[in-house]
Amino acid sequence: MVKRLSDMPEVEAKHLARIECPTYDDTPLLAGKPLGQRRVALISTAGLHRRGDRPFQPGDGSYRVIPAETPAGDLVMSHISVNFDRTGFQQDLNVAFPIDRLRELAADGVVGSMASVHYAFMGAFPPEAAAPHAKHLAGLLKSDKVDAALLVPV
Amino acid sequence: MGALGHFLEREGIPTVGISLVREHTETVRPPRALWVTFELGRPFGIPDDAAFQRRVMQGALDLFERTDGPLIADYPEHVAEEADFTGWACPINLAPGAGDTLAAEIDRLAAWYDRAIAAQGRTTVGVSGLDMPAAGKLVAAALQDSLPPAQPLKQAIDDLKAYYLEAASAFPDPGSSRTRKAWLWDETILARSLIALQPKLAASADAQHKILGNLTMIPATERHRLG
Repeated sequence: MVKRLSDMPEVEAKHLARIECPTYDDTPLLAGKPLGQRRVALISTAGLHRRGDRPFQPGDGSYRVIPAETPAGDLVMSHISVNFDRTGFQQDLNVAFPIDRLRELAADGVVGSMASVHYAFMGAFPPEAAAPHAKHLAGLLKSDKVDAALLVPV
Repeated sequence: MGALGHFLEREGIPTVGISLVREHTETVRPPRALWVTFELGRPFGIPDDAAFQRRVMQGALDLFERTDGPLIADYPEHVAEEADFTGWACPINLAPGAGDTLAAEIDRLAAWYDRAIAAQGRTTVGVSGLDMPAAGKLVAAALQDSLPPAQPLKQAIDDLKAYYLEAASAFPDPGSSRTRKAWLWDETILARSLIALQPKLAASADAQHKILGNLTMIPATERHRLG
């Protein structure tokens, strides 16, 4: 099975094809330590946050903070898009934000450790709105000794 | 999503991203991506299948050692289409009758929502800060009176949808997530209310109302219901 846009239902494919994607002249690529020595953070773009945090709004390029110990029941999703499934997230946080899987891989030594804080954006952001927040976020990740960010869309 | 890979890697943080839409990733060319063919909204494939999710994560993390990007690796596993539940009928008689109201429908679902919370141990309702009767009132008022600001209305609607779908997951025969979503849009007063609300939002002079009416309330797959 190959699921490209041409394999998707027409309405869904049309919607996705209309989304404008930024382009870049070059792509930075950093070498690093073996996985077993890396500290990994999850960066979601599912519009996740703790109940009571500021919900995301159209055009919002900012992020929300999700401490590693946040109980699954405290997380809600205020992504503005209605064009993706939410029932998986309703059933199991990990299908969208696999914090328990990361914790297990850290416990098993597959990854060196898990970041103490994780983050979520709302993926419908215009890139220029997110850029300054991402720059700030990189500093926060470094201060937590993170040297591997797993980016998880929705 | 891919843009974040550029931003963070440029600032010194190595990244790997899951890709759900290969064409987007091919355009954005982030440092490292693992393309999966799963349903949008389910980047790790299968809810409550820890072993599957773990394999996806391992597949993504293994890409950190690569510096020959921008690269897109294809994840080898796929998720089978959900079983065909054609003919599934909502096992609870919630069919709206004459004179029925959104408030009454919300009330009828409360027992099932409570069962869902008991089964799941959590709820994803709670973006708006409103209880569900109050969220329903906001939608009803938007239909009957002047429109409230878009943001609280959007949050109330999203909470109501989550409340309905979580409640339906606790029905005696819950069907599949696909049939429950079909139930929401085919059979509920909530959906009828949202379909009725759409032209009013789209015609509003307020840009945020227009966004809600035209983009962020009714999924692309359900817009054929609009007149």
